[in-house]
Amino acid sequence: MPGAEAGSKLTVLREPTLEVGGEQVLAALRSALAWLQANQEEINDLNVFPVPDGDTGSNMYLTLRSAVEEAQEAAAPGSAASVLAAAAHGSLMGARGNSGVILSQILRGLAQGVGGQVRLDASRWAQGLREARVVAYKAVMRPTEGTILTVVGAAAEAATKAADESVDIVTVLEQAVRASHAAVERTTEQLQVLRDAGVVDAGGFGFAVLLEGMSRSIADPEAGQSAPSGPRRRSGEGRVQLPFGTDETLDTPRPSVRRGAAAVEMKHEGWGYCTEFLIHGPGLDTEGLREELGALGESALVVGDSDVVRVHIHTGEPAPLIAVASQRGRLSKLKVEDMSAQHHEVLERADTADVRSGQGQPATDTRRKQLGVVSVAPGGGFRDILVSLGADSIVEGGQTMNPSIEDLLNAVRSAHAENVVLLPNNGNVILTAQQVDGLVEDVAVRVVPTRNLPQGISALLALEPDGTLDANCTRMVTAIEHVHALEVTRAVRGSAVNGHDIKEGDVLGILDDQITEVGDDERTVIDAVLRGVVPAPELVTVYRGEQVGQELAEVLVEGLRGDFPDTEFELHVGGQGHYPYVLSLE
Amino acid sequence: MIRVVTDSTSDLVPADAARLGVDVVPLTVRFGDEQFLDAVELSADQFYSRLPDTPVQPSTSQPTPEQFAEVYRRHVAAGDSVVSVHISSKLSGTIQSASLAAQEFPDGAVRVVDSTTVSAGIQFLVRAALDDIAAGAGHDHVVGQMEQRRDRIVVYVLLDSLTYLQRGGRIGRAQGLLGGILKVKPLLRISEGEVHPEARVRSRQQGISKMVEMAAAQRPLEALGFFHCGAPELLALIEPRLRHDHPDVPMFSGQLGAVVGTYSGPGGVGVGLLRAG
Repeated sequence: MPGAEAGSKLTVLREPTLEVGGEQVLAALRSALAWLQANQEEINDLNVFPVPDGDTGSNMYLTLRSAVEEAQEAAAPGSAASVLAAAAHGSLMGARGNSGVILSQILRGLAQGVGGQVRLDASRWAQGLREARVVAYKAVMRPTEGTILTVVGAAAEAATKAADESVDIVTVLEQAVRASHAAVERTTEQLQVLRDAGVVDAGGFGFAVLLEGMSRSIADPEAGQSAPSGPRRRSGEGRVQLPFGTDETLDTPRPSVRRGAAAVEMKHEGWGYCTEFLIHGPGLDTEGLREELGALGESALVVGDSDVVRVHIHTGEPAPLIAVASQRGRLSKLKVEDMSAQHHEVLERADTADVRSGQGQPATDTRRKQLGVVSVAPGGGFRDILVSLGADSIVEGGQTMNPSIEDLLNAVRSAHAENVVLLPNNGNVILTAQQVDGLVEDVAVRVVPTRNLPQGISALLALEPDGTLDANCTRMVTAIEHVHALEVTRAVRGSAVNGHDIKEGDVLGILDDQITEVGDDERTVIDAVLRGVVPAPELVTVYRGEQVGQELAEVLVEGLRGDFPDTEFELHVGGQGHYPYVLSLE
Repeated sequence: MIRVVTDSTSDLVPADAARLGVDVVPLTVRFGDEQFLDAVELSADQFYSRLPDTPVQPSTSQPTPEQFAEVYRRHVAAGDSVVSVHISSKLSGTIQSASLAAQEFPDGAVRVVDSTTVSAGIQFLVRAALDDIAAGAGHDHVVGQMEQRRDRIVVYVLLDSLTYLQRGGRIGRAQGLLGGILKVKPLLRISEGEVHPEARVRSRQQGISKMVEMAAAQRPLEALGFFHCGAPELLALIEPRLRHDHPDVPMFSGQLGAVVGTYSGPGGVGVGLLRAG
C-alpha cells in the first residue's frame, strides 16, 4: 500500500493519516458538532418557507449532539466502530425533524459501513460513506435529488474515488468535503423551490459542514480539541468508571436499546439506584459538577459542555442527588431505576426457559391496554383536547420544536399498550415518528401521518378503543381526508412563494400546507381563505394560540359568524406558539 | 289468514299501518305525570316540539300484556293466526308483555318474534312478512323468514348531540362517543339487538357521508329506510344520495318516534338497511 500514493495525482504535503481509532472518531464527531453549531443559524436561514417551523440547523445540531453524548459513552472508546455505533444510536434517539432523521440514518450507515473495525483506514471511510448513502436513501419514501441525499451521494463518490488513489484519510475526507460543497451549490438548480428562493438546500449544507468539521479534526487533531466540547474522557487521569462494561464491543451494527444492561449488574450489583439525567445550562461547570455530584454516589459519569451535562450516577439515595443537581440547572430526561430490579429482568430475559414471578413480562402484559394513542401537541389547550378525546400520552412539540425519536419512544412506552397509534400532527414530525416502530420490541407502533392538529383531532375522533390496530389506522386515515386545516401565522422572513410576494410580518393563511392567502391582518386572511373553500365548510373550529387572548379571539369569531351565517363556528384554546390561529374546516 | 302485529317503536304511522293491515300496539310515553299512548295520543311531531322545553326527562313504558291480548283475541276469534314482531328484547321489555299475552292462545296461534332491532328495522320485517303472506307462505315459514332476515338488518342513527342520551342515563356503551372538550355528534349503530357506538363526528355532513358510505359498502341491499328526528328537512340531505347509490332498492322514509326519540333528541337523522340474503 505505501507505494500507492507515489504515482498519485493527489499530492500529500504532510504525513499521511493511515488509520484512526475511536478517540479520533469521537474527536471528529465533536468537531463536526462544533462546526454545525457555528453554522446553525446560517443553516436555519436557508429555510425557503416564510413560516416558522422546525429549523434544519437546529434539528441537525440537536441530533448530532445526542450522537456525541452517546459516543462519549461508547462501550469501547478505543474502537472506531464502537464509537460510531454509539453515535448512531444516540443520533437515532435524539433525531428531530426530517433532517435529523436522515442524519441519524447517515450515521447509522457510516457505522454499518466500517464493519466493526477498531481502526479505520481510508477505504473504510469511503465504504462507510457509501453505506451512509444507501441507508439514508432508504429512510426517505420518495428520495429527491437536490437534497441532503444528493450531497451524501457526492461525498461517497468522491471518497471512493480518492480512496482508490490514496491511503491518506485526510485526502479522502477532504475530497469528500469538496464534492459535498460543490453538490450543495448545485442543489439550487435541482429543486424548483430552492431556485425560486435562490438558496441552497439547508440539510445538504448542514451535512457538508458536518463533514468538514470531521475532516478538519482528523487533519489537525489540535484544532479538533479546541472545539467547544465536553471534557476529554480518555485523558491521562485514567478511565472514568463507566457503568457499562468498558471492554464490551457491540457486535451488531444495529444499536440495541438495551445495550449493556447485563454488564451493569455484573459489576455493580447492590448499588441501589441507577440515576440518569441531563442538566441544562447555560454556563455549566462540568468539572465542578463532576466533583459535587460524584461525591453523592458511585460510578459517576458527568460529561457535557456548558449547555448540557449528562449525569449517570449509581446511588442509594437518588433524592438528594436530584435536589443538588436541580439547583445547578434545569433537569430533563430524569430516569431512576432500581438496579436490583433491572438485574432480575436481565436474568429473566437470559433465562428463556422458565418465567419467574415478580417483574416478568407476563405480569406487565396483563396490565397493558390493547390499544393506545400517542399524540404530539404544541400547547396546553390542544393537549387537553387530545387527552379528552382519548390520547394516552402527549409529546410536547410541533412547528418550531420537533420532538426527538426518543421523546416519542418514551411516550409510546408510557402509553402502556400493546399497540400504539402515533399521531405526529406535523409534517416535519412524520418521518421521526416512523422510526419508532422498529425500536420497541414489544409494542406494535403505527403512524397515522397527520400533518396538522385538525387532522390529529379528526383521527382521534375516529378512534375505536376496542378495535384492532389495523382497523383503527384505516378509520383514522379515512377520517383525516375529510378535514382541512387553515393555519394562520406571520411571515418570519420575506419570500416569494406560490406567486405571493411575502414581506416579513405579513399574515399568512396556510390551507393544507399551501400558502393560500397573504394579508395584513388575520380576519381578512381567514375570510379570504374561507370564501375560497368549496363546498363551504359546515363547521369551523377555531383554536387560538398562546399569544391571542380570549376576548380578541371572540371578536374574530363573532366577525366570521357574521360573514358566514351558514357555517357553525366553535372557539377553543389551542395554546400553540407562533400561530395565532389554527382552524379546522369540516 | 296470517296477521302481522307490531308495536309503536316500529314507527309505522297509523295511516301506513291501516293501509298495510298491520296492528300497532302503542307503548306509553310519560312527561312527568302526563302520559300518552305513543303515536296515538302524541304524534312524533308533537313529541319533538315538546322535548327541548320539558323540565322532566320523558320516559316510556312497555305495553301491558292486556294491550296485546286484546289484539290477539280479535284475530284468533276470527280464525286467524298471528305473527307479532317487536323491538329488540335488549332495548325494551315490550316483547315480555307480548309473550305473556301469547300464552293465552293454544297451539302456537300467536308467534312472537324478537326483531333484534327497532324503527325502520322492524318495518323491514313487517313489510317483508306481508309480502311472504301475500305469496301464500305458511305461519312457520313467515316466522322462519323473519328470524333469518333480522340478522341482515342494521340501523344507523346520527344524533345531533349526546345531550339526550346522557340525560336519559343511557350513555352506557356509548361512553366512547363522548367528545370531551369538543362538541361531537355521535353515530349509533343498532344491530344484534343492541345499540353500539359507531363513530363520533364533528359535523352532520360527515355523519351523513359516513352512513351513506356504510350503506354502499353493504350492497347488495334488499331494502332501505331513512328517517329523521323532528327535522324533516334533514331527509333532503340523505335521500338523494341513497337514491343515487341504490336506484333499484325499495325505500321508505319516516320519523323516529318518541320511544327512541327520548334518547336521540331532536335533530337526528338515520338510515336502516336490509342486506340481501
